[in-house]
Amino acid sequence: MIPMLKISDLVVSVENKTIIKGLNLVINPGEVHAIMGPNGSGKSTLANVLARHSEYKIESGKIQFNGKDITDVEPEECAHEGMFLSFQYPVAIPGVSNVQFIKTAVNAVRKYQNLVPYDAVEFLEIIKEKMALLNMDQDFLYRSINEGFSGGEKSVTKFYKCSC
Amino acid sequence: MTKKSELNVIVEQQYTAGFATDVASDNAPPGLNEDIIRFISHKKNEPEFMLEWRLKAYQHWLTLKEPTWANVTYPTINYQDIIYYSAPKPKNLKSLDEVDPEILKTYEKLGIPLREQEWLAGVAVDAVFDSVSVATTFKEKLARAGVIFCSISEAIQKYPDLIQKYFGSVVPYSDNFFACLNAAVFTDGSFCYIPEGVRCPMELSTYFRINAVATGQFERTLIIAEPGSYVSYLEGCSAPMRDENQLHAAVVELIALDNAEIKYSTVQNWYPGDKEGKGGIYNFVTKRGHCRGKNSKISWTQIETGSAITWKYPSVILLGENSIGEFYSVALTNNYQQADTGTKMIHIGANTSSTIIAKGIAAGKSQNTFRGLVDVSPRAANAKNFTQCDSLLLGDKCGAHTVPTIKSKNQFANIAHEATTTKISEEQLFYCRQRGISEEDAISLIVNGFCKQVFKELPMEFAVEAQKLLAVNLEGAVG
Repeated sequence: MIPMLKISDLVVSVENKTIIKGLNLVINPGEVHAIMGPNGSGKSTLANVLARHSEYKIESGKIQFNGKDITDVEPEECAHEGMFLSFQYPVAIPGVSNVQFIKTAVNAVRKYQNLVPYDAVEFLEIIKEKMALLNMDQDFLYRSINEGFSGGEKSVTKFYKCSC
Repeated sequence: MTKKSELNVIVEQQYTAGFATDVASDNAPPGLNEDIIRFISHKKNEPEFMLEWRLKAYQHWLTLKEPTWANVTYPTINYQDIIYYSAPKPKNLKSLDEVDPEILKTYEKLGIPLREQEWLAGVAVDAVFDSVSVATTFKEKLARAGVIFCSISEAIQKYPDLIQKYFGSVVPYSDNFFACLNAAVFTDGSFCYIPEGVRCPMELSTYFRINAVATGQFERTLIIAEPGSYVSYLEGCSAPMRDENQLHAAVVELIALDNAEIKYSTVQNWYPGDKEGKGGIYNFVTKRGHCRGKNSKISWTQIETGSAITWKYPSVILLGENSIGEFYSVALTNNYQQADTGTKMIHIGANTSSTIIAKGIAAGKSQNTFRGLVDVSPRAANAKNFTQCDSLLLGDKCGAHTVPTIKSKNQFANIAHEATTTKISEEQLFYCRQRGISEEDAISLIVNGFCKQVFKELPMEFAVEAQKLLAVNLEGAVG
């Protein structure tokens, strides 16, 4: 069986400082893993490097996701393959509504998967259905991304992005 | 006689001879003098008063100096090298194969249908057939409402009373260097007259009128809204009309009487020059509205994405009590473009109010300046103004500048100014890319969000096109 995520001998540096020194990890489908450690031990670095943040440099080693080598890909390709980061402190993007953002993101992934992008009406139906599951007020859709959101609301936003 | 003046004589001689030949071929030779102005006026079959006005403007122009206060630099313009009259005729290209593929690529990205593409590029007349019939239907509908919508040349001949009453009453020929030049040599433009109590049944657009008459580089537009009337006017077209001409100096005058409202929207997408900053239009435009009547309203919305240089300050003079002036602007500059744009709100009547929302986006090596004036006269009790100027920088080689001026001579005025300058942050881009959105689409998404307040003022179809335009013009803005 191909593991979902396979990290081999990973060495990562940030601003010329080595943070992760030779990490090996295999996660199979259906498994739940928790990574724990003191501040500065490299938990966020690992998350960011998996998401391919440009400030985190892979010095050596290899990352495979569902059998595909993603060591040298762009962040958007990572997302297209089905892996993305849930941000601890998401940034605000003024003037861009949640519905617009999520639709753009979902359609970008669909395009990669050779699926027809959702039109505005279809998409609204799907997202409203998901929102009903989470009991969330509909004005949320038309608010700007993470602007003036409470911490809890920001977390809920993440769930929508995961579930669509 | 020195060598130089000998040369002048020869040039003069050739010039006169060339002139005679060119009359036959409907083109004036390059250069500016009284003969050229007489020639233009004659070609347009104008009444005597218009020729006199043009000549007075020309004499005044000779005494003026080109303004240098704007935050733009460009090589000296030789006004004697410019052709001031060239007969409006189609370019006579036989098919789209003859059109610059770069232009076609842009049209395609904007999603303009093929037929329209042919028309925009100036391909044969039969391609425009559809639009012409559309234009005719429009004319009938407007005529039934009593709205006059025609070219300014036609209006000068047909409605001399209205012209003599209003033409040049908002922007007099002596106003500024470029407006004065325009007054002397303007070749065409639009004229709209909305009778008392009439709500214009459709959005008026140059798009339809331009089919009949190709407008030149010195357009002049006059819109008159009689008491209680309303009109929404759309200027420019969504496609990048590449103009070979270098200088574009237009004048727009708006007049709103009691309880009248004029909404004027522009999407300006002239050729901005190439990536190295070569070529492109110099756009020196004077746009001004008079809120003459009580409770009148003038609203300017502009999306400026084109031109190598933009020098433009659509303004409102608030004369009537309770009158309202608005200015919503998005100015995007990329590569080597320079934009110095903004507005003037002059409060003269009591209880007048104005709103200014300006969004400047600078990318590449461009310079983007907002220049604004809010002036409250002693009579303008309870005048209110709210100004918000936001600048967004892409990259580290561009510049955004804000030059607001506030003059209040009335202690009961209420003036508020807010300004921000931001950059698209790496974190915002990463956030979008991590959800699968490409870097270019992410920038376009963030920029559109930044401009939202202005886009919502545009008529629906225009708003959609404006978004696409920004995306096209931002291509290659990263890195």
